[in-house]
Amino acid sequence: MLIFITRRLGLMALTMITVSVLVFLLMEISPGTVAQKVLGPYTNDEQRQLWLEQNGYFRPFYVRYLSWLGHFMTGDFGPSIRFKVPVAEVLWPRLANTGILAGSVLAVMVPLSLSLGVLAGMREGSKLDRSITVAGVVTTSVPEFASAVFLTATFVFWLGWLPGTSTMSEGWRLNQMVLPVAALVLYDFGYVARMTRASMAEVMTTPYIRTAILKGLPYWRVILRHALRNALIAPFTVIMLQINWLLSGVIVVEFFFAYKGFGATLLEASLNQDIYLIEACAMVSVFVAVTTQTIADVGYTFLNPRIRFQ
Amino acid sequence: MSKSDREKQHPYIPELAEQLRKQQIDRREFLRTATLLGVSAPAAYAMAGKIMGQSIVPEARAQTATPKKGGNLRCSMRCQEMTDPAKFDWTEKSNVARGMLEYMAITGSDNITRPFLAERWEASTDLKTWTFKLRQGVKWSNGDEFNADDVVHNFTRWLDPKVGSSNLGLFDSMVTATDTGKLDAKGAKMISKSMTPGAIEKVDAHTVKLHLNRAELAVPENLYNYPTAIVHRKFDEMGANLSKNPIGTGPFSLKEYTVGQKIVLARRQGYWGDEPLLDSITYVDHGDDPAAGLSALASGQVDMVHETFVEQLDVVKKIPNVVLHEAITAQTAVARMQVDKKPFTDKRVRQALLACLDHPKLLEVAYRGRGALAEDHHVAPIHPEYFKLPVVKQDYALAKKLLADAGYANGIDVKIDLKREPPWELAACQAIAEICKPAGIRIQLNVLPSTQYWEIWDKTDFGFTGWTHRPLGVMVLNLAYRSGVPWNETHYDNPAFNKALDAAGSTLDANERRKLMEGLEKTLQNDAIIAQPLWRSIFSSTHERVKDYKLHPTNYHQMNKVWLA
Repeated sequence: MLIFITRRLGLMALTMITVSVLVFLLMEISPGTVAQKVLGPYTNDEQRQLWLEQNGYFRPFYVRYLSWLGHFMTGDFGPSIRFKVPVAEVLWPRLANTGILAGSVLAVMVPLSLSLGVLAGMREGSKLDRSITVAGVVTTSVPEFASAVFLTATFVFWLGWLPGTSTMSEGWRLNQMVLPVAALVLYDFGYVARMTRASMAEVMTTPYIRTAILKGLPYWRVILRHALRNALIAPFTVIMLQINWLLSGVIVVEFFFAYKGFGATLLEASLNQDIYLIEACAMVSVFVAVTTQTIADVGYTFLNPRIRFQ
Repeated sequence: MSKSDREKQHPYIPELAEQLRKQQIDRREFLRTATLLGVSAPAAYAMAGKIMGQSIVPEARAQTATPKKGGNLRCSMRCQEMTDPAKFDWTEKSNVARGMLEYMAITGSDNITRPFLAERWEASTDLKTWTFKLRQGVKWSNGDEFNADDVVHNFTRWLDPKVGSSNLGLFDSMVTATDTGKLDAKGAKMISKSMTPGAIEKVDAHTVKLHLNRAELAVPENLYNYPTAIVHRKFDEMGANLSKNPIGTGPFSLKEYTVGQKIVLARRQGYWGDEPLLDSITYVDHGDDPAAGLSALASGQVDMVHETFVEQLDVVKKIPNVVLHEAITAQTAVARMQVDKKPFTDKRVRQALLACLDHPKLLEVAYRGRGALAEDHHVAPIHPEYFKLPVVKQDYALAKKLLADAGYANGIDVKIDLKREPPWELAACQAIAEICKPAGIRIQLNVLPSTQYWEIWDKTDFGFTGWTHRPLGVMVLNLAYRSGVPWNETHYDNPAFNKALDAAGSTLDANERRKLMEGLEKTLQNDAIIAQPLWRSIFSSTHERVKDYKLHPTNYHQMNKVWLA
């Protein structure tokens, strides 16, 4: 097991180093463009040459890469061009904001989609099942950028119930969370609910449930004690996958509601060629993806007795 | 005007007054030129009033109520970094800094430039020597007195290539180019441009003199460009970072500052001028999505949206209690062709493209008709020296003939680079592409994100570049069409044009200058280096509780008189 974990960690490090080389190559291969991005379009060649000289861009490529990597490992991501502060000052608070948004979405979406999925799956083909299925399919097929516009048109412009943006500029406000969370939940809950429903419906047809019902156990007890446990394995995996999706899938919603999160920052950095910030965002995304995958792999071997290592 | 003022006045003033009397120039042009030549704004208004027999009171703002002090104005605008004002490349940065820092001159929303930190100025008759008398009694927020050292320091750093300021191009008449003896990567000679020794002279503690290489008319206008805010003489010693060391002469101080999120300016004690009415201004960053600002305005999260795009006018009209502001400007974008890149080396190809244009249609399609018709020479009807040329009609037959003469009888395929924002630019390019099709000019659009476009804007052979408003027509021509200047994106190189431009730039008489502009405008039109679809209006929206706010043609925030009902 220890060897397995070490191997996974080694693989993780190797992946990250490979990605870092690629990121660095893509972003910094041509010093001229770096200077132009940093100094802006209205500078002349002489001004750019002076900047390159001051910032060591005339050193060999591998020296620049190693120095960059060294700084990166110690948490020094360089200065953001757009924000003119160290990248870390922008990155961490925004990552935390996305964490809050993603956490809120999960907190609403998981209980909602699980209970609706279970309700639908209990009696396949019932009126309740049909309604939940149709509602789930409809909301899932509307992308976030459309539902965000629809929600805003209804609750901000027409009814005037909710604030139109979620900048939290006067401190954290619950009412500013409602629309972004709603847009994401609307998009996502149908998918998880459908998964749960399918899994539940399948379990409900198994012989042991039939036996439990036939031996006279109360219906709610059959559901809670016998069906639910097995039915929830598949949705659980799906929900785990949603965590990765939430990190990137929030871009549209964050941008639309001006929520200051990781997704919007990544978009802004890319649109504005803020190279050091793009590099940091890319590495953070890779780190999160690789880490969750490693944890999932390791965790799965603990949880599932059918998987064992020599 | 006092006797001493009259003695110091520029020798051209009496003639100017005479022209106003004979109605050869209008009141607006008189005010503009008089203030430009160092007459204070009230004195100029008084002179105009005397000559024209009108009240000497300056035009009053339409007031519905007595201004009220207090309140926090919340404005949706990008909150960008604000390190070095000399390096600003966005109006938004300067709008925040404008609360704290001030300029030597100020251009009002009426497009007239007046003295500000400089109390008055005098130009020599050849317009090569400018003397600035600085206002006395102006204090920096750290208690220091504002003086000539501050001004000298600012000019020195603007014109130092190591600082990286675009002012180096703006004050080209104070700059000398020297050969560094080095070659760049492409093997071309590296030319270093820096301030001509002695170009700025400190006469006494409150007087500075500029000695220019050539006549320059627009010095005061240039001093109210967004990167020419005056910083403290110890700005560089204190770390050259305005957001960390916000010392200024302006009425507001920096209270809160988080880049990309929120900036709060608060009224400060001890301001030298009239205190502003607002207690504070809060700028809230809503990202790059223009719809977010309107959502915030509609739900009462902000009182004002910095910029409203023409595509949003219908939405704005539907929001209750919101006022739409419009300013007619000299802002535009031009489909410019590089004259040294094929196929645009052939003038007939460029002329063929221009012959296809139907300007009224372009204005209607690309900008809902809100703006003014352009004539492909980059001088706007609101520029004082604008000369009206005969309307150019769409002529497909001519376009086809020109193309055939140039060897493209079967038509021609070209690709234009353009940026995604603002959206009207895409609409304009689509309209140009459609309008050119019947003549056999097939234009393919290559839409880029703004920042990517700004990397190639001066390099691409065919591109659509946005140009901001400038108060004078000669300013734009100097920046963009003079041979060898950094922003000459068309690579246009016409010695006769340069010479004529020199002449126009040193002609004070607006009527005379207008005559010279006729030639310049015609030359540009005939050489067909730019296809200019329109002059656009700009818009912003406020809640109706925001009073006495006037949209500036360059969207500069001047908040000293704004108040909240």
